[in-house]
Amino acid sequence: MQQQQIPETIYIVDDDEGVRNSLRFLLKSVGLATRTLASATEFLSTYQADQPGCLVLDVRMPTMSGLELQQQLNLVGATIPIIFITGHGDVPMAVEAMQHGAFDFLQKPFRDQDLIDRIQKALDRDRLNRSALAHHAAIRARLESLTPRERQVLALMARGKANKVMAADLGVSQRTVEIHRSRIMEKTSAGSLAQLVRMVMDADPALLSND
Amino acid sequence: MPNYRDSEPVSLEPQTETLHGRLLNVSRMATIGEMAAGVAHELNQPLTAIANYAHACERLLGRTDMDPADIREAVHQIAIQTKRAADIIRRLRTLARNQPTERSPFNLNVLVQELYELLHTDALLHGTRLILDLAPHLPSVMVDPGQIQQVVFNFVRNGLEALGAAGRADPIIGIRTSPHGDGEVELAVTDNGPGLAPDAMKRLFDPFFSTKTNRTGLGLAISSTIARAHDGSVGYRPAEPNGACFYLRLPVSFGG
Repeated sequence: MQQQQIPETIYIVDDDEGVRNSLRFLLKSVGLATRTLASATEFLSTYQADQPGCLVLDVRMPTMSGLELQQQLNLVGATIPIIFITGHGDVPMAVEAMQHGAFDFLQKPFRDQDLIDRIQKALDRDRLNRSALAHHAAIRARLESLTPRERQVLALMARGKANKVMAADLGVSQRTVEIHRSRIMEKTSAGSLAQLVRMVMDADPALLSND
Repeated sequence: MPNYRDSEPVSLEPQTETLHGRLLNVSRMATIGEMAAGVAHELNQPLTAIANYAHACERLLGRTDMDPADIREAVHQIAIQTKRAADIIRRLRTLARNQPTERSPFNLNVLVQELYELLHTDALLHGTRLILDLAPHLPSVMVDPGQIQQVVFNFVRNGLEALGAAGRADPIIGIRTSPHGDGEVELAVTDNGPGLAPDAMKRLFDPFFSTKTNRTGLGLAISSTIARAHDGSVGYRPAEPNGACFYLRLPVSFGG
């Protein structure tokens, strides 16, 4: 797992310096690495998508609110889990945040253990997201190594066509189809046809409609 | 760093320094609901910070490898945040304290006209027409002009909100001044909305009574307090043919 080499960072984005620093102090006391930022724009200019971690985000901020930052992150497909911290009267905002895929939210002031538990869960989620992404990327790379002909054969295999039928469809010998098949299994390192189909469905479903 | 300014409903070019000051005061008081929410939010910040530092100290004190310098730092920050919370409360007290009133003889019409631009802009934003019907030769009243303007503003705000909720085709607010009985003048703010339910009428001027869920219900209670302080009164009557009418009655100033 090469991604484990980059330590996880808890990003804290809050325009209130007192709250921001107290959160950093609290999280440091339980051994979590943090990065504090005073605004959503500061976060956007700092954050690297390959940085594992999670985001503790204040809803109410001037210029760009937490919700706006969430929308920006959704637009660029960032998967970093977001824990919103909200004031007492901000429940409707919290609901909106959850509808847009926020990981969780907490009302200020909150119990420290609640925050720490949620951060741990968010980090678990981030690991899961990242390993799924890495897994998909690896499969995509393998699929990309297939020749156009092999892609054709793969699409036909996924539809459950027999070698004989494929050979007739493609105008080649059955022997040639068999060679393609074994090259495909080799290149994708799929253990079975079922596993191969699942890999393609996960990583590049468009391939299955390839004729 | 209070953020009340966000919630000020309307800004406009002031005609004079005094008018500007008075209007600011009016709009500040008129948004008391938002202000209360703002203060609650502001207090929440230092409280959150204090809680975080305190929790962190508990955790650190439970560890053998803790550095006393960290505890000292947290305690120092707790003291800073506590002072910050106290400052917020002190500011709130200053706001809430009754400012000494300065009364002079005024014509209610003049106070309404001064306020007209603000009310007109507010009404426009609500898609509502504002109609003035000011009696000529109105006797003067001894008033704190800012406070009386605040009552007018509260009445109009109330009307705009009622009309907004009712969704009428042609919403209208009328402000009418007239002599009333012996030795009083009346200022009445009328809307052509649905009017009030009978059970709402009784509690109308109670503090914290509101038919609107996100309002504090202080507007009419404050208006009532201001009227009493001027030896006057506020009241409600249904408008003809429909709608609500809130009125303020003040004794005529014989000195002026």
